Amino acid sequence: MKQAAVSAAVVLAMIAFGVGAYNTVGSLRGGTTAFQRPTSSLVAVPGTIYVAQGGALYRLRDGSFKQITPDDGWTQPAGSPDGKQVVAVKQTVNSGDLFLLEGDGRVVAQLTHNDARRAERNHWAFYPRFSADGATIFYSYDPKDPFNSYRVDLAIFSRPADPASHGETDWTLPNQYTGGDTNPMPTKGALVFTRFSIDEHSVMHSQVWLQGRPGSPGVALTAAADDCAQAAVSPDAKRLAMVCRHGELRSMRLVVVPLDLVSASIGPPAAVVSGGLVASPAFSPDGQTLAYLAPASPGGPFQLWTVTLSPATGPASPRQVTQNLSLDSSSPPAWVAS
Amino acid sequence: MEGRKLYLPRASVLVAGFVIAGLLGLTAYFFPIFQVAATSAVSSGSLPDALPGPTQPFTVLLLGSDDDAKFVPDRFNSQSMILVRLDPSAKRATMLSIPRDLWVPIPGHGTGKISTAFQLGGPALAMKAVETNFRVRIDDYVWIGLKGLVNLIDRLGGVDVVVTNPVMDDFYPADVNTNDPYGYNRVAVLPGAVHLDGIHALQYVRSRHGDLRGDFARSERQQQLLLAIKDAHLNAADLPFLASAFSGEIKTSIGLDRVRQLLALAGELGGSGITREVLMPPYTSETTIGGQDVVLPSWRLILPLVHKTFP
Repeated sequence: MKQAAVSAAVVLAMIAFGVGAYNTVGSLRGGTTAFQRPTSSLVAVPGTIYVAQGGALYRLRDGSFKQITPDDGWTQPAGSPDGKQVVAVKQTVNSGDLFLLEGDGRVVAQLTHNDARRAERNHWAFYPRFSADGATIFYSYDPKDPFNSYRVDLAIFSRPADPASHGETDWTLPNQYTGGDTNPMPTKGALVFTRFSIDEHSVMHSQVWLQGRPGSPGVALTAAADDCAQAAVSPDAKRLAMVCRHGELRSMRLVVVPLDLVSASIGPPAAVVSGGLVASPAFSPDGQTLAYLAPASPGGPFQLWTVTLSPATGPASPRQVTQNLSLDSSSPPAWVAS
Repeated sequence: MEGRKLYLPRASVLVAGFVIAGLLGLTAYFFPIFQVAATSAVSSGSLPDALPGPTQPFTVLLLGSDDDAKFVPDRFNSQSMILVRLDPSAKRATMLSIPRDLWVPIPGHGTGKISTAFQLGGPALAMKAVETNFRVRIDDYVWIGLKGLVNLIDRLGGVDVVVTNPVMDDFYPADVNTNDPYGYNRVAVLPGAVHLDGIHALQYVRSRHGDLRGDFARSERQQQLLLAIKDAHLNAADLPFLASAFSGEIKTSIGLDRVRQLLALAGELGGSGITREVLMPPYTSETTIGGQDVVLPSWRLILPLVHKTFP
């Protein structure tokens, strides 16, 4: 009896050893990264930050996330100047529309109606931004080319923020077959945005542009070779943060430059983050801190980070705000005071 | 003495039992790889008899096909052809994208688009067409289908890429996981550094209508995705997990030894060790032959470029 028990124990130990060998090899896997829904942040940040993940909008306040929309194509939230409302994109397979929301995610109004029965007759709306007075919303939109249905280039448009008002204004004329103009950032009567171009060697470049009024020629603030994009303007409109990649595809820099709207020029760049991938910077309401999105490890999904900008000592070390999330890096964090 | 005689065999049985249990555990873990190996086509004809040693440079032809329900199984064109030269000792890699519409002699089949070689004679003829036209030697091939690529990226947990410009397409084929392989939908892959899942990575490397550079831009994006996969930090323990995702959506002549070699090299390759070439003008020019849009090669320029890296 005793011998049978010992034998059974030995057999069980062998099975456990085999299972252990299976699990040990499995634990050596290096390729995948698990992520989860946002619940809490690693560190608290002042004010409220809206982010997007997996088609839902989340509100980060006092170190805790709250999901404010269902997982239904929601992305790219932007706060109103008073911090009480949010304009965001709701994307379907073929279209994207702008919606005005309360801060808790309740839909106030649908601002655009871009869906159509035939796929190619739908439109996109991306990157909505309130003007400084909150009266106007700027966004990227794809007007159709009547001469070539294959051409889909985004242009910057504006419309009244009041849902009861209508009247869209076309601001920019994008370079053809580049995908168009993106990331509008209205500031003090001017518009900062990203424009794409193809050089004589068939290389694609991105530049940050400044334009004074709808249809005016505008001026490039950055050189084509710097490949800068995704500009954010500080609340006082004196600094500009942007991502520049200098022709690289695996390494980028988040830089801050002085901005002079009168002379339509920028000053020398100061690198805030260098190396690796970085996306979608946004200034804090007081202009002293940048929020941005970057992977915590190479190849991984994007997390929320902040870095404090000190004129005296230069930028501090970046602080990782989230972990194990997979935030939508095409959706800049929307940072509001309240 | 009697007790010792009994003790030794028991110890041996115990050790053997644990060894067998461990081997069974490892076999169970790596079983999906053996399944893929069993369903992969072993390549023929044009392969050299002696494979290069573990530190010798070698050349792999990467093939990608639209293998949705529009096509007869195993009669696909190769929508993507990338010739990759890997040098383990120098820790260098070169990628050369071959335009799918390149108008070339196809051995035994007259002149046609190089993408049709795969349809006419499988990977062996695709390799032969590349070898004879580009005057290079190819050691191995890897073919992957649409769902195979989607599953691979998803199993990796997604990949990071830098989208250089908005990739917009109003006529993107909606032929994966659908009942209507002739349908289409709209695609908008927004610019900047992004983390793409399998479906969006496929959209990124497959879309071509909204870019002035057409198929050349798509080739660049395909190379970019390869770099992103390289950065996923795979190792041998990942292989069963990945292999179980393919279910016939991958075929290769590469043996497990070379796969391990590739994984090790991928981890050591830095950005400066990777050269990327796309045969844009002046290496090629676009024209129409017999009603087909084709790409004509300028071999005078292409061959010196190719032979800098590929023997």
